[in-house]
Order: sequence, then structure tokens, then C-alpha cells
Amino acid sequence: MSADRQEAALVEAQNLSISYGRKRAVDDISFSIPKGRVVGLLGHNGAGKTTLMRALVGLAQPQGELRVLGLNPLQARVALLQSACYIPDVATLPRWARVEELVTLMSGIHPRFSADRARTLLKRTSVGLRDKVKSLSKGMVVQAHLALIASIDARLMILDEPTLGLDVLSRKAFYEMLIDEWCDGERSVLISTHQVEEIETLLSDVLMLNEGKLVLNISLEDMDRRFVALSHDASVADEMAAAHPLLKYRVQGGSASLFDGEPPAHVQALGRRVRPSLVDLFVALTRKPELDRQHF
Amino acid sequence: MSTWDRTWDDRQPIYQQLADLLAAQLLDGDPSEGAAMPSVRALASQYLLNPLTVNRALQALSDTGLLENRRGLGLFVTAGARERLRAAERDRFLQTEWPRLRERLRRLGIGIEQLNWEQPA
Repeated sequence: MSADRQEAALVEAQNLSISYGRKRAVDDISFSIPKGRVVGLLGHNGAGKTTLMRALVGLAQPQGELRVLGLNPLQARVALLQSACYIPDVATLPRWARVEELVTLMSGIHPRFSADRARTLLKRTSVGLRDKVKSLSKGMVVQAHLALIASIDARLMILDEPTLGLDVLSRKAFYEMLIDEWCDGERSVLISTHQVEEIETLLSDVLMLNEGKLVLNISLEDMDRRFVALSHDASVADEMAAAHPLLKYRVQGGSASLFDGEPPAHVQALGRRVRPSLVDLFVALTRKPELDRQHF
Repeated sequence: MSTWDRTWDDRQPIYQQLADLLAAQLLDGDPSEGAAMPSVRALASQYLLNPLTVNRALQALSDTGLLENRRGLGLFVTAGARERLRAAERDRFLQTEWPRLRERLRRLGIGIEQLNWEQPA
């Protein structure tokens, strides 16, 4: 995320740590999120994703420097939530409510919420205004939730595992709406998920957490340049291994090795260069140390 | 690469694959010459791609002269785009596909008289 730094970033974190008691959930990380980006926050369960997101909206107390939309989230939480919206991983909509009642409710409590826009967005979905939340499928509830918070005239959206437990069609509909109705080149979204493969092409940037540490902070464009994946014949596996790849894995019709940076030319000559995939990088950079030996 | 309806391969950058896909559609006249391209957001949500990736693909097509930017109106298919694409495809066929096909025909002993040039009814 080195590009467009001239402009003030929507999120600016410097040496940020967040502890619960003696446990450091987020450990000395620095990053920024400029405008107009779709940032994936990846990590295993317990890596610190939810804690970080909570800190961004003033729900967890960090050490270090944190500015969200130029504000300190803990001190200026109300002002911040005018222009930042958040779906936590435990989000629910009240089961007894009708969707149109939620629109009315949001109009009453959020000054930058547009009921007209919410109705327009809800028309995209199969959710009816008269439907009660308890009558909706899980996928429809999440769509309704996205429609409601995307109707807030905000600049930053934070989504904590929004598609968890949804079937593939619901996930697809969710991302279509997110791109079509939210990503306008100005607003940014930070989204966490375990479905790394299907979100890869949606992202402009990725933040990868492993046990509270930021192990990768890169744009997808730079990722393609920095990491080199070579698909190769099993017969040259030893030569590949000698060049210390980050990861060895199987691809259709053979093996592949992933390198951080260009491997030596004689190694490159042994394989065919392929596009490194985010999921392979994820495996390579977030392995638990105790799993190392089983992998190789 | 993805569990959505379209799978991207790992040989080329995604923007390049999208540019190739859009070029193939232009060759089929979709959209036709002089017509407007769909917006970045429409393409991004259709293919579930980041808008920056779509921008790069459209930029690549503009760089080769297939699309032109009309100020304030967006991108349009240039006049002659299809003919240029067809010429490029023809070149590619003759340069790369035909030698392979010729080699295969030779190996199989198939002569020109055995090839049926009429489309089956």
C-alpha cells in the first residue's frame, strides 16, 4: 500500500499493539489504508483480525498510534462512526423486526443514513421490505445488513467475516453488491475472510496477520512482482529445494515452488513462471512453526 | 483460481486475461464499433474483480487503440477495432497455430483433399 500516500490515508497505524491481559493479540504492526482500496485482512482464527477491527472502530484499546479518518477511534468514536461503518463477526439483526422497520430505525439513529438508498439497494436483493428478519435465510440477512450499512454515506467499511456460513450464491451476491454499490474509487473497505481463494481477485491489497504480527502488507499488483512461483517437473525438485523456496506445493501436472524475490537464473530456467496465488502465500507465511516438518 | 463461474488461470496477470476476454467479445461485435463499453463498476461486479484490475485491462485495450476515451463520456469501441482484432488474430493463427496444425496434419497423413471445407448442414 505504498501508492497514493500523498493524500491522507483513511487508516494510519504505527506500531500498534493490542493486549488482553498478558496476551498480545496484535503485536506492533504498522500499515495504512488509502482511499479507494479493497483490503483483505487474512489470518487464521486467533491471529488478531477481529481485535484489530474492533480497535479501528474504538472498541478495543490499542497502544501505539492509530488514526482512522484522521480521528482517534477511542476518543472520537461517535464522530468516527458518522463516516465509518462496521459489520462485526457477531452481527445480528433483530429477529422480530420487519426490514422496513430497520430502515426507519437506521434513519432515526444515523445522521448520514439514506432510507431511499437503502430501499434501492434492497431492491437488488430478494429481501422484501415487509419481510420479517426471522423469515429470511442467512444469506438474505447478510444481504439486508450490507444494504443497510452501505446506505450510510461513509468512507470506510469494515467487514468481519461477512460471508461466513453463506452458500456460494449468497457469497457471490454479497460481493457483487459490495463492488457495485460501495467501491467507487473513493471509499475503502477492509474485509476479513477465510475464503482466500474466492476473494483474491476482488482485493487491491492484502494485510496478513500471523499470531498478532503483520507478516504481509502488499498490494496485489506488487505481490505479483515480488513473489515468484515456478511450476516445475518433479525431477528437478531437489534443485528447487536447494534454492530455499518459501513453499513447495502441488499444481496440476506437477510441482511448484514459491519464492520471495527472484530465484537465481539457473533455478528459474528449470521451471515455468506462474502467477503466485494468495492462498499459497497465505499457507507459506502463516504456517504454525510446529507444522513445518509435516509439510516437507 | 476461484470458485465463481469464471476461473482465471495462473499463467498471466488477471488484468491481461480480462483484456483478452474483452477483446474476444469485441471481435464478436460485443459491444459494436462506436458503442460505449460497460462501466468499470459494471465489469468489476460482473466478473467479481477489483475495479483497479478492470481499469488496467481497459487501459491495455486503450493502449492498443481498440478503445478510445471520449472526455466526460467514458470509453468507446474505436472504428475499425474489429478489423484490427481480426488481423491480429489472423497473424497469431498463421504464426503460431498453423505451424502446429500443419505438423499434426502431416504426421497423420491428412491431405488438403480430405478436409471438408463445407460446414455441416
